[in-house]
Amino acid sequence: MRPPLTGGRGGGGFSGGRGGGGYSGGRGASAGRGRGGGRSFGGDRGGRGGRGDRGRGRGGDRGRGRGGGGRGGMKGGSKVIVEPHRHAGVFIAKGKEDALVTKNLVPGEAVYNEKRISVQNEDGTKTEYRVWNPFRSKLAAAILGGVDNIWIKPGAKVLYLGAASGTTVSHVSDLVGPEGCVYAVEFSHRSGRDLVNMAKKRTNVIPIIEDARHPAKYRMLVGMVDVIFSDVAQPDQARILALNANFFLKSGGHFVISIKANCIDSTVPAEAVFQSEVKKLQQEQFKPAEQVTLEPFERDHACVVGSYRVPKKTKAATAA
Amino acid sequence: MLVLFETPGGFALFKVLDEGRLSNVEDLGKEFASPDSARKMVKLKAFDKFDNTSEALEAVAKLLEGAPSKGLRKFLKANCEGETLAVADSKLGNVIKEKLKIDCVHNNAVMELLRGVRSQFTELISGLGDQDLAPMSLGLSHSLARYKLKFSSDKVDTMIIQAIGLLDDLDKELNTYAMRVREWYGWHFPELAKIIQDNILYAKSVKLMGNRINAAKLDFSEILADEVEAELKEAAVISMGTEVSDLDLLHIRELCDQVLSLAEYRAQLYDYLKSRMNTVAPNLTALVGELVGARLISHGGSLLNLAKQPGSTVQILGAEKALFRALKTKHATPKYGLIYHASVVGQAAPKHKGKISRSLAAKAVLAIRCDALGDGEDNTMGIENRAKLEARLRNLEGKDLGRLSGSAKGKPKIEVYDKDKKKGSGGLFTPAKTYNSAADSLLGQTSSKSVAEDSVEPSKKSKKKEKRKNKEVEVEDEPEKEEESKKKKKRKKAETETEAVEVAKEEKKKKKKKRKHEEEETSETPAKKKDKKDKKKKIKD
Repeated sequence: MRPPLTGGRGGGGFSGGRGGGGYSGGRGASAGRGRGGGRSFGGDRGGRGGRGDRGRGRGGDRGRGRGGGGRGGMKGGSKVIVEPHRHAGVFIAKGKEDALVTKNLVPGEAVYNEKRISVQNEDGTKTEYRVWNPFRSKLAAAILGGVDNIWIKPGAKVLYLGAASGTTVSHVSDLVGPEGCVYAVEFSHRSGRDLVNMAKKRTNVIPIIEDARHPAKYRMLVGMVDVIFSDVAQPDQARILALNANFFLKSGGHFVISIKANCIDSTVPAEAVFQSEVKKLQQEQFKPAEQVTLEPFERDHACVVGSYRVPKKTKAATAA
Repeated sequence: MLVLFETPGGFALFKVLDEGRLSNVEDLGKEFASPDSARKMVKLKAFDKFDNTSEALEAVAKLLEGAPSKGLRKFLKANCEGETLAVADSKLGNVIKEKLKIDCVHNNAVMELLRGVRSQFTELISGLGDQDLAPMSLGLSHSLARYKLKFSSDKVDTMIIQAIGLLDDLDKELNTYAMRVREWYGWHFPELAKIIQDNILYAKSVKLMGNRINAAKLDFSEILADEVEAELKEAAVISMGTEVSDLDLLHIRELCDQVLSLAEYRAQLYDYLKSRMNTVAPNLTALVGELVGARLISHGGSLLNLAKQPGSTVQILGAEKALFRALKTKHATPKYGLIYHASVVGQAAPKHKGKISRSLAAKAVLAIRCDALGDGEDNTMGIENRAKLEARLRNLEGKDLGRLSGSAKGKPKIEVYDKDKKKGSGGLFTPAKTYNSAADSLLGQTSSKSVAEDSVEPSKKSKKKEKRKNKEVEVEDEPEKEEESKKKKKRKKAETETEAVEVAKEEKKKKKKKRKHEEEETSETPAKKKDKKDKKKKIKD
């Protein structure tokens, strides 16, 4: 993110930005500069609005087609079965189509007008799930892309860099549950506003309106975390991640970073960008374990997962 | 050594028990692997708890600026006598050193130490567990976020950004509505669309007229010019449009009202934007105008953001798509973005637009910085620079005239002095005939170039200074001609060559005119253009 700016819309330069600007709502309206602004021309997530809509349409048609009551969406009931996903805290709703869902921490509330599914338990209580749209969330895209381990699990402490309006953050907050904690860092005041509003309802989200380039500015708010999720789409995002990890990521902790090739270098092929980023990470005491592309949800994006300062003891022990 | 550790609950001071281990930065992490080893490394010396959230907010807000709050100063004074203090922020360290005379350190070892403390924090402080810290950091972060959002400093910029956004929207809307009026009323009175071109006038007359039969009786003098009115009345009688009911007309008139009120509001908004721009960014406004200035600000996010960008970025702000396409395909990057609509660029001839937009961007950035960071409220700087730019534009165009008629179009300037090439014979400023006669009179007297120059210059000195450049070019031509005529026999071959070149050049000129249009659109690099030209020349030669 940019050095401290006063910008309501964050970013300088040509950052595309997510987090709807102005009144357009939703993400990536071309007018909106969400993120604390790309250095020069990092069209962050511009032009996502349309795609977001497409994704939303998926769930929506179904619910309305059946003429379900007041609430839209995949109305719960007999036809939808929710099964736990391989990753703890994530679920799959199996209806006509499968959808990724998380258990709603605040039942009855949607954060960004996503669809909700209510399921009757055996003991008569109801559990509400929220549909997680992979077109709007890179973490969801990574999960559907088959990432081995996201490390974000119930009870985990997560530092989320590049929280934007808090759509994915809300799902991460569902994921870690009341025992866990999400520190959501966002620099843009415009989308920070939405983030703070979202965080009001979810007590495990700690909103931080600061530049992720300067972790010292929020050192007093954040404790040691288990996982850092970074989605800042900046040319120096590896450095940003390293700075934050140095401050807050416990030894042997994990990182999940989403890399948008175009934001780093638009002149070379995406694959080369990913490689160079992975190399940069390796120099900073990170140990990338796996990399998945986010096709078909995002173009030229990759998600890299790995660990930080892995204790050498175990290695020495095995060697000996 | 003491370590200052900030928590959402208050400030903690830890005493480092084993300072020898600090030298080994790499292994410092291991010392904090378990609570027990951590306790051997550091010990809590004192803890200053925040009494309430407002105190916490105040202290943390101060800390973010890199200054210790009152409570922290007191706390440090009481506990840090004669010790060095390790801090997480070097800026804060400097202030503490200055104000409290406490030595501060900030280095990698300190960072590692703080990392260790953070990892074992709940173990090192008894009675402050995770469940106690969570609500504190939650409360603090919310109040901090509110504080930040409330006091965001670029309110005025935001107003401009919104206003220019609305202005664009209004223009779009207005156009849609006006076209709808034309389309709708066109069924009734199709001829009117041709007669009245202006959308607002059209809406006004439709509103006044209603059914076209009324046209003859009405007085349009307040809206239209006399001849247009006459034309309208004539056309209304013989119109081939369909009849419409009063109910239809009612709705068309409503639509006209909409168009008119929108137009009126747009004018108001524009005035507002103008006044805002003149107060917020007077110099920028003087340079590029209100609209372009406001668009630049809205594109940059805020005036301050814009001030942090280099001129080259401002130059192509708004042309990102073209830029990235060009970067990707290794083509020429665009020459202008939003700045294209500035009047200075608009005045320039197509071939100078790139140059002028670069100069303008450079000046605009200076103006922006002046506005964003300077104290002055006036726009003298902007006006001065605008005058300079206009002078440069004139200068460019003046040069251009000379060059256009010369034979070395598009060549680097240095080649003007190359005497083997025919040059400048047709400069517009040059009275060709007089020049030739002067050359003739010199023919017999001198042969060397230097003498020729000497003898010509006095005769030309009476001419205006502005023409000096052309003169130089002429002078260079002279010896050539002399030599030509003197050694005619020997140089026959050379002469034919130069002639050939001249013919080629003339042809080229024609072609260039044809190509000019193409060039404007394709926006090649100058280098490329030159390549092409060179190639052509080679072929012709």
